[in-house]
Amino acid sequence: MALQRGAVDAAAFASDIVLAPLDAWDRLAASFRSRSALQDDLLRLQQENRVLKGQSQRLASLLAENARYKALLNSAREIEDELIAAQITSLSPDPARHVVMLNKGAADGVQAGQPVLGAEGLIGQISLAGEYNSRAVLITDSAHALPVQINRSGLRAIAEGSGTIDRLVIRHLAATTDIRVGDLLVTSGLGGRFPHGYPVARVTDVDISPGDAFAVVSAAPSSALDRGRHVLVVERAPELTTAGAR
Amino acid sequence: MNRANAIWVIYASLGCALLLMLLPLPMDWRMIRPDIATLVLYYWVLALPHRVGVATAFTVGVMQDLIEGAPLGLSSPGLMLATLLLLLNYQRIRQFDLLQQSLMMLVLLILSAGVEQWLRNGIDLPASSWSGLFGLVCSMLCWIPLRSALRHSRRYYEVY
Repeated sequence: MALQRGAVDAAAFASDIVLAPLDAWDRLAASFRSRSALQDDLLRLQQENRVLKGQSQRLASLLAENARYKALLNSAREIEDELIAAQITSLSPDPARHVVMLNKGAADGVQAGQPVLGAEGLIGQISLAGEYNSRAVLITDSAHALPVQINRSGLRAIAEGSGTIDRLVIRHLAATTDIRVGDLLVTSGLGGRFPHGYPVARVTDVDISPGDAFAVVSAAPSSALDRGRHVLVVERAPELTTAGAR
Repeated sequence: MNRANAIWVIYASLGCALLLMLLPLPMDWRMIRPDIATLVLYYWVLALPHRVGVATAFTVGVMQDLIEGAPLGLSSPGLMLATLLLLLNYQRIRQFDLLQQSLMMLVLLILSAGVEQWLRNGIDLPASSWSGLFGLVCSMLCWIPLRSALRHSRRYYEVY
């Protein structure tokens, strides 16, 4: 295991060497971006920032309200998750796996088992953390499955990776279950690995054949797993882990 | 047996081939990435069977696993088996013309990949689908240019 953890860093270093010319080119191209393009970006980001700030004000009040209700219910107050920003540096060379390399490791607080978020929802979890780099399995990897909940009805299920980058599968769901195309799947928090309530996927297809006892439900991940390079690793307080496991 | 000469070329070429595995490709293109490291290994087994053998194959397999992040020892058995077959038949395979050699390489690649997939099934890891064969065919197409490049470097540095 120690060897493999070291290898994560070694492989990242090696891929840095391989990537050095591409990186240099990117940097060169970035430094020659036009002034007007940068100003457009700035304007867009400022507007986005204003919108987000407005939304987060509402969030703060909602959080406070939520905490009050929780206090009324006499339950433990959930600790806010700490987030670590990371970048995807490369994909696993093995085409059968959906595994990505991240540029943050144990030195930054990343540990195996921590959830990884994309812009629009959960995308995976850390499988191996080196000192300065780590590997994350995406939720669509066919060796991965996670406990989810249908946001509308609260129904719990297990979403399995299909090995296809835009599809999750829920098997073993009774054919009479209330589930519709468009339903949002969120993490249920069961199992104690993923905190409760992060969006995971949206149901795209419910296949009920009359002879079968189970429906086969397909869902598309909320975050486009093959787009973008920036992800967030959720660094959780240990209390939350046990809270989820209850 | 003569003394070894410039065998660092062997390890340098294997190292470069392993680095090439890390070259980033889009998600769907990874399917057709040629398996250069395996081919380089087969070349050296064929060219210098007294220097490169089963132990080297084992090491290359472990390096591949470390780079891919796969469980250690997943690729080694297949590579060792293919290497063993090469060691037993290298005199015959050397006499083949390039097309026949390429086909022979395809057979060996399928053998080593097959053993790996079989082991993957054994430990419930996702195995690649039939489209994985495309990658092996791409590897086969690389054999002729790769062989001539390695042959030139072997002669230039007088690797023995």
